[in-house]
Amino acid sequence: MTSLEFSSIRKCFGPTVALADFDLTIAPGEFISLLGPSGCGKTTALRIAAGFERADAGTVSLGGHDLSPIPAHKRNMGMVFQSYSLFPNLDVRKNVAFGLKTRRLESSVIARRVDEMLEIVQLSGLGDRFPHQLSGGQQQRVALARALAVRPEVLLLDEPLSALDARVRSTLRDEIKRIQRDTGVTTLFVTHDQDEALAMSDRVGVMSEGRLEQVGSPHEVYQSPASPFVARFVGSINEIPSEQGTILVRPEALTIHENVHHGKWIGTVVASTFQGPSTLIDVRLDALDRLVRVHTPTGTYDGVAGSRVSISMVGDHLLAV
Amino acid sequence: MRGRVFGRVVAPLILLVAAAFFILPLFAMMRFALQNVQVIDLRWSNLFDKWSLAPLWSAFSDDQFGRALTLSLKLAIGTGLISLLLLVPTIVWVHLRLPRARSTVEFLTILPYVIPAIGMVAGIMVIKPHARWFLNSDLSLIPFYVVLALPFTFRSIDSGLKALDLRTLVEASRSLGYGWIRTIVHVIVPNLRTAILSCLFLTVAVVLGEYTIADVLLKRTFPAFMGEYRGSDPKGGYGLAILSLVVTTLIFMIIGLVSRPKSARRRRARGTT
Repeated sequence: MTSLEFSSIRKCFGPTVALADFDLTIAPGEFISLLGPSGCGKTTALRIAAGFERADAGTVSLGGHDLSPIPAHKRNMGMVFQSYSLFPNLDVRKNVAFGLKTRRLESSVIARRVDEMLEIVQLSGLGDRFPHQLSGGQQQRVALARALAVRPEVLLLDEPLSALDARVRSTLRDEIKRIQRDTGVTTLFVTHDQDEALAMSDRVGVMSEGRLEQVGSPHEVYQSPASPFVARFVGSINEIPSEQGTILVRPEALTIHENVHHGKWIGTVVASTFQGPSTLIDVRLDALDRLVRVHTPTGTYDGVAGSRVSISMVGDHLLAV
Repeated sequence: MRGRVFGRVVAPLILLVAAAFFILPLFAMMRFALQNVQVIDLRWSNLFDKWSLAPLWSAFSDDQFGRALTLSLKLAIGTGLISLLLLVPTIVWVHLRLPRARSTVEFLTILPYVIPAIGMVAGIMVIKPHARWFLNSDLSLIPFYVVLALPFTFRSIDSGLKALDLRTLVEASRSLGYGWIRTIVHVIVPNLRTAILSCLFLTVAVVLGEYTIADVLLKRTFPAFMGEYRGSDPKGGYGLAILSLVVTTLIFMIIGLVSRPKSARRRRARGTT
């Protein structure tokens, strides 16, 4: 297990600043996600770590050693890509063995390692299939096995789940986390999906316009966002004008009353969205002429459109801006 | 209604006229070369009379035939290999690092097709006095043939690379410990098999058809031999020309056969995943 450290990384593409003073230390064995909208620089950071892009300034170190002079193929990092990256001319076993062949291992060692990896990703019976004979989820599992087979010091995951359908994405998300926990490999995961980042990571780095806005545990970035951007990007948020300015409140920090005199703000239900265990109710507040979203456990209030209700806060607001 | 008439009547008619335009001269050439009948006596009534491969056998038995064919095959192999060595890394580099330059490179590669070979011959005549040491060798034709074949070789490799997710495959290979050269050898070349075969076959077709440069540089390649032989034995010369055409056609059919199953497989794969 090795640490990965970005120090004062700056990277520009022409006039566009992709990364500005980017600092991040990933502890040995840690799973950290970079979360942000498209174009925020998260993939650039990962590609600089992999050696596919060169930073204009700053250093990336692996276990304290500067990686700048080391080319991509000598960095010993495993990488899984967003698009299916299996070699189409090789079957599953040969894909997984690909990185091992260049490490001059005996063929018996390679065969054993391939078996072990296919077992980890639960594809033991599919060793002789070619990539075009696999589903998207299976291809990404093989890509994960291939990346882990070389026993990398760092595993880089570049939105590996984004091309998959929701059900497969959810299953593979759990598997990646399990495998990472079992192998203990230091992992940098890039995603624009907050659910993935919150569910899988030890820490989440939220990025905007080439800068890290906040790095913290999933609970911290959700419950104690460091900036309005983080509050707005991670989870849903209501922005309600008050005497302190505009306060940012999570939907679950609000409660809804059928009695219009019980709550602080009075309004009319506009719509409700049933989500299984919970229901999201959109209410237009009379005094503010603004929609707020309230998160209620299903069964407590159905939210019939047009009903008059009142709303009060049951938790703290996150920020005032 | 009008479309249906076009589809059923006009389109096949156009196809028939076009086919006749190509096939009739070839058929006439074949009759001239391989039918042992005086040209002036060739009629539809004696279409099936006195066909013979004797003019071809006689051409095959010429001392120069074997040597000319061997030289052309050597030139084809040399041209194919050098084209691949130059083009595969260059086009990979252009695709990955200079994608904006692709259209410029594509334009440059089409120039040998636009400018007639005689243009290159004029250039060769200028450098000839200074490069006799090089031009004396029969294999000195290779660089010129590499240039002549560029419009075809570039396009076959380029379209092969376009069909791959090149960036991801290269980066996957490099992240697994393979440097640039090993990535080209172990990842790109195996996935370009069809494109490389097309490139080689097209090179053979170009080399077997090029006459101008070989003639000016006094190299006895197969097309130059055919030209000369036609002077002494027109029937055998045209017989060889037909044979050369048949071989080239077969080559293109092989390209079609080799490339079809893979694309069909890919289409199936896209449908299932």
